[in-house]
Amino acid sequence: MKLKEVDRTAMQAWSPAQNHPIYLATGTSAQQLDATFSTNASLEIFELDLSDPSLDMKSCATFSSSHRYHKLIWGPHKMDSKGNISGVLIAGGENGNIILYDPSKIIAGDKEVVIAQNDKHTGPVRALDVNIFQTNLVASGANESEIYIWDLNNFATPMTPGAKTQPLEDISCIAWNRQVQHILASASPSGRATVWDLRKNEPIIKVSDHNNRMHCSGLAWHPEVATQMVLASEDDRLPVVQVWDLRFASTPLRVLENHARGILAIAWSMADPELLLSCGKDAKILCSNPNTGEVLYELPTNTQWCFDIQWCPRNPAVLSAASFDGRISVYSIMGGSTDGLRQKQADKLSSSFGNLDPFGTGQPLPPLQIPQQAAQHSIVLPLKKPPKWIRRPVGASFSFGGKLVTFENVKVQSQQGAELQQHVFISQVVTEKEFLSRSDQLQQVVQSQGFVNYCQKKIDASQSDFEKHVWSFLKVNFEDDSRGKYLQLLGYSKEDLGKKHIKEEKQESEFLPSAGGPFNISISGDIDGLITQALLTGNFESAVDLCLHDNRMADAIILAIAGGQELLARTQKKYFAKSQSKITRLITAVVMKNWKEIVESCDLKNWREALAAVLTYAKPDEFSALCDLLGTRLESEGDSLLQTQACLCYICAGNVEKLVACWTKAQDGNNPLSLQDLIEKVVILRKAVQLTQAMDTNTVGVLLAEKMSQYANLLAAQGSIAAALAFLPESTNQPNIVQLRDRLRRAQGEPVPGQESPQVPYERQQLPKGRPGPIADQTQIPRVPTQQYYPHGENPPPPGFLMHGNVNPNVAAAQLSTSPGHMHTQVPPYPQPQRPQNGWNDPPALNRVPKKKKMPENFMPPVPITSPIMNPMGDPQSQMLQQPSAPGPLSNQPSFPQPHLSGGQPSFHGLQQPLGQPGMPPSFSKPNIEGAPGGPIGNTIQHVQALPAEKITKKPIPDEHLILKTTFEDLIQRCLSSATDPQTKRKLDDANKRLEFLYDKLREQTLSPTIINGLHNIARSIETRNYSEGLTIHTHIVSTSNFSETSAFMPVLKVVLTQANKLGV
Amino acid sequence: VPFELLCSHPLPVSAFLKSRARFYACRVCAGKRRNGDYVSVINTVDTSHEDMIHDAQMDYYGTRLATCSSDRSVKIFDVRNGGQILIADLRGHEGPVWQVAWAHPMYGNILASCSYDRKVIIWKEENGTWEKTHEHTGHDSSVNSVCWAPHDYGLILACGSSDGAISLLTYTGEGQWDVKKINNAHTIGCNAVSWAPAVVPGSLIDQPSGQKPNYIKKFASGGCDNLIKLWKEEEDGQWKEEQKLEAHSDWVRDVAWAPSIGLPTSTIASCSQDGRVFIWTCDDASSNTWSPKLLHKFNDVVWHVSWSITANILAVSGGDNKVTLWKESVDGQWVCISDVNKGQGSVSASVTEGQQNEQ
Repeated sequence: MKLKEVDRTAMQAWSPAQNHPIYLATGTSAQQLDATFSTNASLEIFELDLSDPSLDMKSCATFSSSHRYHKLIWGPHKMDSKGNISGVLIAGGENGNIILYDPSKIIAGDKEVVIAQNDKHTGPVRALDVNIFQTNLVASGANESEIYIWDLNNFATPMTPGAKTQPLEDISCIAWNRQVQHILASASPSGRATVWDLRKNEPIIKVSDHNNRMHCSGLAWHPEVATQMVLASEDDRLPVVQVWDLRFASTPLRVLENHARGILAIAWSMADPELLLSCGKDAKILCSNPNTGEVLYELPTNTQWCFDIQWCPRNPAVLSAASFDGRISVYSIMGGSTDGLRQKQADKLSSSFGNLDPFGTGQPLPPLQIPQQAAQHSIVLPLKKPPKWIRRPVGASFSFGGKLVTFENVKVQSQQGAELQQHVFISQVVTEKEFLSRSDQLQQVVQSQGFVNYCQKKIDASQSDFEKHVWSFLKVNFEDDSRGKYLQLLGYSKEDLGKKHIKEEKQESEFLPSAGGPFNISISGDIDGLITQALLTGNFESAVDLCLHDNRMADAIILAIAGGQELLARTQKKYFAKSQSKITRLITAVVMKNWKEIVESCDLKNWREALAAVLTYAKPDEFSALCDLLGTRLESEGDSLLQTQACLCYICAGNVEKLVACWTKAQDGNNPLSLQDLIEKVVILRKAVQLTQAMDTNTVGVLLAEKMSQYANLLAAQGSIAAALAFLPESTNQPNIVQLRDRLRRAQGEPVPGQESPQVPYERQQLPKGRPGPIADQTQIPRVPTQQYYPHGENPPPPGFLMHGNVNPNVAAAQLSTSPGHMHTQVPPYPQPQRPQNGWNDPPALNRVPKKKKMPENFMPPVPITSPIMNPMGDPQSQMLQQPSAPGPLSNQPSFPQPHLSGGQPSFHGLQQPLGQPGMPPSFSKPNIEGAPGGPIGNTIQHVQALPAEKITKKPIPDEHLILKTTFEDLIQRCLSSATDPQTKRKLDDANKRLEFLYDKLREQTLSPTIINGLHNIARSIETRNYSEGLTIHTHIVSTSNFSETSAFMPVLKVVLTQANKLGV
Repeated sequence: VPFELLCSHPLPVSAFLKSRARFYACRVCAGKRRNGDYVSVINTVDTSHEDMIHDAQMDYYGTRLATCSSDRSVKIFDVRNGGQILIADLRGHEGPVWQVAWAHPMYGNILASCSYDRKVIIWKEENGTWEKTHEHTGHDSSVNSVCWAPHDYGLILACGSSDGAISLLTYTGEGQWDVKKINNAHTIGCNAVSWAPAVVPGSLIDQPSGQKPNYIKKFASGGCDNLIKLWKEEEDGQWKEEQKLEAHSDWVRDVAWAPSIGLPTSTIASCSQDGRVFIWTCDDASSNTWSPKLLHKFNDVVWHVSWSITANILAVSGGDNKVTLWKESVDGQWVCISDVNKGQGSVSASVTEGQQNEQ
């Protein structure tokens, strides 16, 4: 394809490969005259600007020369990489002269552009070549067998390669060897070629076939094989290119007979030794493979002969050809369409005539009809074989899971010779080792439930006080009397307070009026008397009023207590209205139980005190909200230091989502380790929340989900696919998480079971050309196979897994958040226990039951100190201690009815309810699970309705595995009967319940054979009462199996075995 | 498991450190590695191609490998669990096949390949068999690069050709593909195309429901005019050149738009015949100014750049058959963390250090 053209009858030279941009120098040809018969000469430099689509070449400089040229070359002598010096232009003139020009000076427009010249030669200098190893060496050839070697650093005196060849003849071509720097070849029209060794200073071989019809017009060395060269013949009777190998110099290795008439010039590509250009008097420009003789390409040219042809050294696909019709054309051998070019030219032309109506005729110009001939040539095919430079030999691409796919094309020597080894390597790239090891630790902690130790380790390792605080707060969650410990952390020891309190009480008791002595009832007219009268008539209200009036506050309050709640409240209010001491507001808040007031209006500097007050007094149902509120204030109003402290409030509140938000604000979330910092805290806090608050915290907020999936992505990128899966939130229907989970599962290499899991979490539907219609339609469309672009051959995924995030994930997400039908789209249609248990976010069912640990739901705050004296229940401490023994509904969640949680039942069954998202505290309610009425009704709804039926029918345990159940249950019963302390009994009871997970898995037959075998082995060891063997087998199973598969029941089994061993049953 | 030693240092066996793979390095060698061994070969796939391999790409899940070669074939292997099972040997091209690209699995199992034969072939798996589903013959010269658009846009394939044009194939249903062509995108040839990740201006959550996301489709291309060009789809569906990025002084061999990691910054890596690798960043989408940072100047042509999924590591493949991994350090410098010598599954530090000094 023609790229550029310039109308000159000239010799041409490309700038050296190092040069950027690419220049083409042209020097008026000495041997051709153009139609003007002008003998003016000039040296011009053009820039090859391929970003300019036009055919014009940008002229950079013109220098009027007194010489015309037979040969022009551009050497890289003294060039540096920065292009400050553009090398040197070497021209062969008509009268034995060689002229050196400085191209940078020409471009700069300098007058003095000639570096040096020398006219030592005889006759026209037709042959010039630069040594590619020592670019200061230039060989030249002229008449009378003259060959000189010039040193550009010392241009005055040339050397000769040896004695002149006889008979004397013109030297038409000269070329340095491309592999050996001291070898030079020359050729003459007589057909003889001579190879010189400059070290020996003599010709070492003469190459000629003996028919004497070769008329050498071209000579070129093989770019890679040192001993091969080609000679081209201008003679019409022998229009050939001969390939010679000097090791066999008696006859040509190959003769290329592709031209019909004499060849005028050749050029061998340095970028690909299989590309040799030749142009001849048959007006053809051919590109052939000199190693095979095959013609790879014929350039589309006009009918003119070309007398000079050159590859562009820098751009291997570009060549230039100078033709006798006075034109230099630049071509690409990669083919392509010239339509764009021509059209642009036409447009350019039109635009220079103005707005297509140059003559004001009112009629725009008709579109330009490009002549037919041009149309024929508009598509130009590329070379028959791909040039070497576009054959990519190496590659490395990342893929999912931190894998790197690499290939190389290395030749390996074998018995058959060089062979290509066609291997592709898949490597694992792991760059974040610390991140991975910390993630491992975290997983182990979740598995072993050793949270307290973990927190303690973190506290010990903390670099900053704040970090220490956060971990201390988190640790408290797993300890008894968490509120008390929180208070301690805030600097308020309850015991100290208690001591003081008791002291005061003692003092008070001393001041109690002695019960015995008689006293005087005054009914005089003063205030005392009036009060007495009022009291005697039972009119507490008046009595209180009178006391207040007389500023006898204590009397008023005491009387008000006797007068009942209403009066007391009124009296308190009046008191507070009058009283103005510093702590009044605090007392007000405490008495009025208005903690909100404290939290909302306290000075943020006193956030610790406010938090302490909340910790002490707030009822469980408002506790979280108050901590939250304080946190929010700190976050929004406080300075940066206080903002971070908000994290502590959120930890107290158990508000994971806000902790994430607050933490993220303060940290650089893109560093894997800082994300790890966050995730550690979040995971621990969630565990704590699950332990301490009997509610479903399995739902994940938007922000947390984003962080967790970011975390999972990071883990996956480090190759830890299994860990990524374990940390990915289970119960969320956010499209990106569902998609990531599916991707992880498949990446693990496990074929996803067809029935239970989605094929792909995208609905495969055809891609409509237009935009999808109303959203409701989009999401309700049943999966009609004909509508799908590539209907999948396998079973369609259960409707419950249909994702609508394909074309428009945002819309899908929004949909999910508003329609109740979609609320269940991600709830698996099978009972919860089948799922892998003890993922970081799985509900630890057992832990919901109050155990030895004292839980906040049992926490009753001390009764406000409104009536320290009269309280018949005694002091708040004792009241608190009485509470835990009282069973009953969990009173701390009044706003969230959770009937299924009552009575200490294992609560996981709650998840089996079709509407599997029971109440959550306000802070956990996320838009994506908020149902909205009036959602569309479709098959998803029907599916949900069908659910309960599915659940009721539990499959029986296969007969062969029934023995496991009976053995384990029997063992637990035996243990129970011999266990004495209630704690052990409780443990065993729990175990009995939790083994239900195992039985469910047996029913579903989802356990791997190895695990089943192991379990049978354990059962056998139980039968022989060899529990230590059972434990050994147990350890083996746990260490060799998939954690998620066994985590739900194996720890329990261990407890049972250990107990049995201990009890010796 | 037989193990191999990577060096011949005379050390007692106890002195050898176990690396992640079955290769062992002695302490002397291990100590030389500045950053430890990040890369270990976990699977070697003998493709049995009869000529040069030009591309190897894993599917979305990393479980299947597609390769293509000068032997005109495309092969698909199941490489799960370190194995290699030939699933398909696809014949249909009449010249060397340069690149393969997997479509997102939501559209099924689809692979595109491009070849010197001027064709783009789209293959798909149906009922376990791979077949040609579409052949695009709209180019006049070698098609050098194919790249699927983010799946959010639908099934769109960008193809860059030596004829200088870029074509965009959009699946319109019922086996029909709509073709748009950008003529003369890169004079004498486009070598690479790479889509920008699908990013909606503003947050995902803020999108009002029921409204189509306001995606702005963009891709980058690199070519023989030494330029990187950024293309943007106009509202009328026409593609327009949005930006020219100039820094390379020779053919741009590859461009790779980094995956989005939720930051407002856009990043593109480019590599060139001139041995340079640039990292282009645009911090402000509205001003659309891109600034280049030289990652490194290699001594040979750089053929390929590839981002890790999390966009924090760049794999650079050079003409000296070397693959290096680069990571941006905290202070914004690009550091070579590993020099992958695939055949040995090891890294060597010497070259890396030399390159570091050069910078």
